[in-house]
Amino acid sequence: MKQNRLVNVLFLAPSVFAFVMIIIVPFLFGLFYSMTDWNGVSSEVRFVGFNNFRSLFTAPDFLYSFLITVGYTIINIVLVNVVSFILSLIVTSKIRMRNFYRAGFFVPYLIGGIVLGYIWQFILNSIVVQLGVVTAVEVLQTSFLSRPNTVIWAMSAVNTWQYAGYIMLIYVASIQSIPSSLMEAASVDGANYVSRVFHILIPMMANAFTISLFLTLTTSFKQFDMNLTLTNGGPATRFLEAPVKASQLLAMNIFNTATANRMAEAQAKAVVLFIALVFVSLIQVSVNKKKEVEM
Amino acid sequence: MKKLALRIVTIAALAVVLAVGASCAKKEADKPKDITINMFQLKVEIKDALDAYAAKYSAASPGTTVKVETLGGGGDYGGALKAKVQAGQMPDIFMIEGRGGYDIWKDYIATLDGEPWIKDTDLAFKVDGKVVGFPVAIEGYGLAYNADILAKAGIDPNTLTTRAAYEQAFKTLEAKKRELGIDAPVAMAASVAGGMWWVAGQHNLACYWGGGLAFDDTSVIQNALKGQLDEARFAQYAKYVQLLFNYADKKILLNGSYDDQVGSFAQGRTAFLHQGNWVDPNMKQLGVTFKMGYAPHAFLDTVQTGLYLFAPSWYVVNSQSPNAAAAKAFLNSIASSADGHDYMVNGAGMIPAFKSVTLKPSGQLSQALMAANAKGGNYGVFFGMLPDGAGQNVFGPIFDLFAQSPSKIDQFTADMKKAIAGLPNK
Repeated sequence: MKQNRLVNVLFLAPSVFAFVMIIIVPFLFGLFYSMTDWNGVSSEVRFVGFNNFRSLFTAPDFLYSFLITVGYTIINIVLVNVVSFILSLIVTSKIRMRNFYRAGFFVPYLIGGIVLGYIWQFILNSIVVQLGVVTAVEVLQTSFLSRPNTVIWAMSAVNTWQYAGYIMLIYVASIQSIPSSLMEAASVDGANYVSRVFHILIPMMANAFTISLFLTLTTSFKQFDMNLTLTNGGPATRFLEAPVKASQLLAMNIFNTATANRMAEAQAKAVVLFIALVFVSLIQVSVNKKKEVEM
Repeated sequence: MKKLALRIVTIAALAVVLAVGASCAKKEADKPKDITINMFQLKVEIKDALDAYAAKYSAASPGTTVKVETLGGGGDYGGALKAKVQAGQMPDIFMIEGRGGYDIWKDYIATLDGEPWIKDTDLAFKVDGKVVGFPVAIEGYGLAYNADILAKAGIDPNTLTTRAAYEQAFKTLEAKKRELGIDAPVAMAASVAGGMWWVAGQHNLACYWGGGLAFDDTSVIQNALKGQLDEARFAQYAKYVQLLFNYADKKILLNGSYDDQVGSFAQGRTAFLHQGNWVDPNMKQLGVTFKMGYAPHAFLDTVQTGLYLFAPSWYVVNSQSPNAAAAKAFLNSIASSADGHDYMVNGAGMIPAFKSVTLKPSGQLSQALMAANAKGGNYGVFFGMLPDGAGQNVFGPIFDLFAQSPSKIDQFTADMKKAIAGLPNK
């Protein structure tokens, strides 16, 4: 036993070392810097306590970014999971070419967020607008990305297009692991398709929902790349009497603060993002876990 | 027990290999060698010309090699430089873009006082009377116009020296839109979404900071940094912005990218373009044949004729580098040698900030700028004095909102007043 422990430690050591050096140590450094006035270069680092945090919750741009991120996350969780669940039902049914559809729905996930943002920017700004001009539909003539109240929805739609295929795979795997005898028995008992889905499929898939909701929650909360290329935070809107960027999610707000050489403040925002994310996802996972059933 | 011994031997062998590897790496660094000047710069458009000049310089000066590293494609230069300093690879020559950059990097910036090129330029970067920055080039802007379209519409660009004259010209163009084949009179961009906040929030706003004043008069921006807005002056400026926004192509204004804006002007779909002489290479690329020039941004009620000239960035020498003297010599060679002049003008297509240069750039807008520079009476550009991020995070959204509804001029003024009042706390 003792020798085994040595082996375990040795095998773990490289990953633990890497994990400590690139996750734990920077995280602790980050916590420290969030309480200083460091600008990223200066060798003089003064400790300022919670000053950076105090000013955050009176800054309209940060508050707005926080709220819009929460909103975006909620929209995304609903949209991505509903769409991907429906897709998973389609591709596990007896439809022809279902393997082709499975691959097809998954492909958008393989496109990087940066490229994807540019592609959809072109589609939404040019193609959709041109379509609106040709068909004389006024709603389409102004880009969805240049209207403060539609931009978040456009972003969620693009995110869903990208992410639904991935979540779909999780649901598909889960559906396939449910013994078909259960569904057959229900159908013999006279349950129609809808009630079979709601009373057998969904409860049996609870663990898939836990992981899918967790993934959509965390990725939406940390959304950055597609945000940067698709909207760049624009257009501007008004919040608490101050002009703010309508689609500047939290990660981008942090990035813009950091590139303005306010490193410590950006770090403080990152700490807030971390705490919020841990808090929300712990609640989500514990609620979901209660719904899971053992086979 | 045997197994354990074997394990220990294996681990020991691994450790030895690692240690040898590490010591080898160290030895390499200790080896004495000729001086290498590392330069880190962000102007990707001059990369090839600068590389060629550095190679030429290295060949001509034995014992010195100049290595240029360029950060391409609008990358985060400040971030990259921070990564370098953390890694202990601070370059010998790097760039700053104004006071904000100086404040961040001042521990690494050497004074250049006494360098021979200083008396040859007006645009050296000075802090408290000490020269610290070598001007990379002169850039500048006015409102670029398509001379062919203006001629067809019967507008003389020389008359565009007041806001009233612009209003008249825009009205004429708007009325003759179909006949002239244009979408709108002006290609202006102000959108956060298109990444064009800098056109409005930096370059256009620079008219308010420096327009109509002496070239080095920074009083307006100094007051702003103390939180004060000159309301009478701003009221005139706001009307000018409103005028530009009202007659701008709406799609470009609210959502357009740099390519959309410049492309629209290059294809003759707009008569005016709010951009600087850096669009010359784009014009060449897009095969533009029409004549163009610069009209002043005349926003005051009185006549204004000057263009806005500035050095967008400066080379600075790393004060903590042992090669600082060689780095200074390299910069001096750019300013004072014939090869250096050739590199700046013919190689990189820039307007040199040094008066002794006699070569002429090929771009039409650069030529217009050079002529204005020779004539004098131009205005300074001072947005570099603002705190970092002010243009992008504070003024950008304000201009974007105003562009969405240009009739709300009072709201625009109130927003700006509030933003400027908040500047001292940044």
